[in-house]
Amino acid sequence: MKLLRRELTKLFAQKRSYVGWGGLLAVPLLITLAFYLNRNNHHHDNGPGGVISLAFHNGILMPLASVAMLSAFLLPLLAAMVGAYQLAGESETGTIKTWLMHSISRGGVLASKWGIAVIYVVIGLALVFVGGLAAGALAFGLHSQALLSGQTASVTHWLGLSLVAYLYVLVGVICVLSLALLFATVTNSSLSAAIGALVVFIVMNVLGAFSYFDFLKPYLFTSHMDAWQSLLSQPISWHPIVTGLITFAIYIAALMAVAWYLFRRKDILV
Amino acid sequence: MTMTQDRTDERPAPPNGVEPVVLATYGLTKSFGNTLAVDHLDLTVRRGDVFGFLGPNGAGKTTTIRMIVGLIYPTSGYATVIDHQVPREKIEALRHIGGFVEVPAFYGNMSARRNLRLMGGLNAQVDEKRIAEVLDIVGLSERADSKVGDYSHGMKQRLGIANALINSPELVILDEPTSGLDPQGMKDVRELVRELGKDGTTVFLSSHLLHEVEQVCNRAVIINRGRVVIEGPVSELHPEHSSVKLLTSDQGKARDVVAALVGAQQVTVDEEYLIVEANDGTVREMVGRLVAAGVGVDAVIPAREQGLEDFFLGLTQSSDVDTGGAAGVAGGAR
Repeated sequence: MKLLRRELTKLFAQKRSYVGWGGLLAVPLLITLAFYLNRNNHHHDNGPGGVISLAFHNGILMPLASVAMLSAFLLPLLAAMVGAYQLAGESETGTIKTWLMHSISRGGVLASKWGIAVIYVVIGLALVFVGGLAAGALAFGLHSQALLSGQTASVTHWLGLSLVAYLYVLVGVICVLSLALLFATVTNSSLSAAIGALVVFIVMNVLGAFSYFDFLKPYLFTSHMDAWQSLLSQPISWHPIVTGLITFAIYIAALMAVAWYLFRRKDILV
Repeated sequence: MTMTQDRTDERPAPPNGVEPVVLATYGLTKSFGNTLAVDHLDLTVRRGDVFGFLGPNGAGKTTTIRMIVGLIYPTSGYATVIDHQVPREKIEALRHIGGFVEVPAFYGNMSARRNLRLMGGLNAQVDEKRIAEVLDIVGLSERADSKVGDYSHGMKQRLGIANALINSPELVILDEPTSGLDPQGMKDVRELVRELGKDGTTVFLSSHLLHEVEQVCNRAVIINRGRVVIEGPVSELHPEHSSVKLLTSDQGKARDVVAALVGAQQVTVDEEYLIVEANDGTVREMVGRLVAAGVGVDAVIPAREQGLEDFFLGLTQSSDVDTGGAAGVAGGAR
């Protein structure tokens, strides 16, 4: 706990933390702005489809539209960078040896790194949620809205759905973050670790895109990333959500176990 | 190797006045691929020692320190710190250690004070007063609130020492603490290390400068290519005689006169100087005889330090030959 508290101090002392958060916050604001400026164009054929196009006239949909857009790439990218930087960044500055020369366990250090990276993403997602909701409310107001299955749901219902969807996306993104942290235990470069994690993420996405590799699909965490959209129908089909969460949990546990195994006996030569 | 008895026999302090062992290594070995960086190293450091860990660059000093503090894992062997074995009980061992390896690393975007706040409390509770105290000890009080990123190399070195002292550890490990410092900085750091020793803190100081170790340490070990070359009290690391450089009007005649006094083996030629291994008493006698023989004495220069460095180089080079030349020395640098 004392380690995580120190990681928090460091996180808020770094300018780059705010850059990442700022970038995330910009997305819902930009989406809202684009929709707002485009509000009289009923074709709105230049925007993405699905949930995002639903958000056209209702602020309540803005958080979901934002996360749908982010979870494809920007959010995994940021998670990979943050996970990689927490550990490999300390190798780059040499501060990892300053830490490890204290009476602390390496497992504790790794856990605090994972914890702080998760906190970073949680704060980022909270900004997107609040930013999207606030901008959406300002631009279009918050109204009840039809679900994908046609029934109308209240603003509070949508808020609840959005929160659950965000939690689901968070767990999915933690897979990418854990992957980056694992790579950060074997390289001393945060860029290499982040790129490594992104390459795996992209390869999984590509594999999931071809029907030939369908047999792999259930085992790739990337194919479960969008399962939260099943929340938007009534009755909610929980099966894909639960399957996704179990897959994510297995990935996270396995990745962190390997990371711990490697970091435990790593020779710190920086 | 001076200490071979069982570790458990040594605590509490033996009655004969020998201090308990604070740090010891037992057959400590590390290889990186085919390079043997540290080769069955046995060391014993007792409470209150200011222990010089001396060797040329690439001798395996830093690798040894990294093993002692658990940053890297030995290929074989282990170390003990107080009663704790490293690597097995390194978390307990590290509670008693303060120090740094190579260049001390801190967060450049934070002030010195904030860095110490961040790292200081990991081993034990640290209050603002103690932070101010250690900053004062290393002479950083005035810059305590500037960002460490703006610090000079010497100031970072000082901050490293402050961080090492913050929990008043029983063992302070300093890896080349004067490297890259200006002469005044070197002097300050050496003075500080001496003070620590006087206060009873055990200091393990690595250095590639013999005269530095001679100035501040009471005991030392010289290692080369990962092995102990010589170990003992610093006074015994000296060559038996100190040297003087001699410049006269007739070096040939002077050489004969001096050789008759101290023996031909004690006189060597170095560029335009004669190097004479002689103690203070013989120097007077030597000058008297030279003048009596009609040789004009232009200069007699004490060359004790020169002699020590030659001695040190001689030791480390001869062990190079023993282990098959200099190849691989660079590989052992870590």
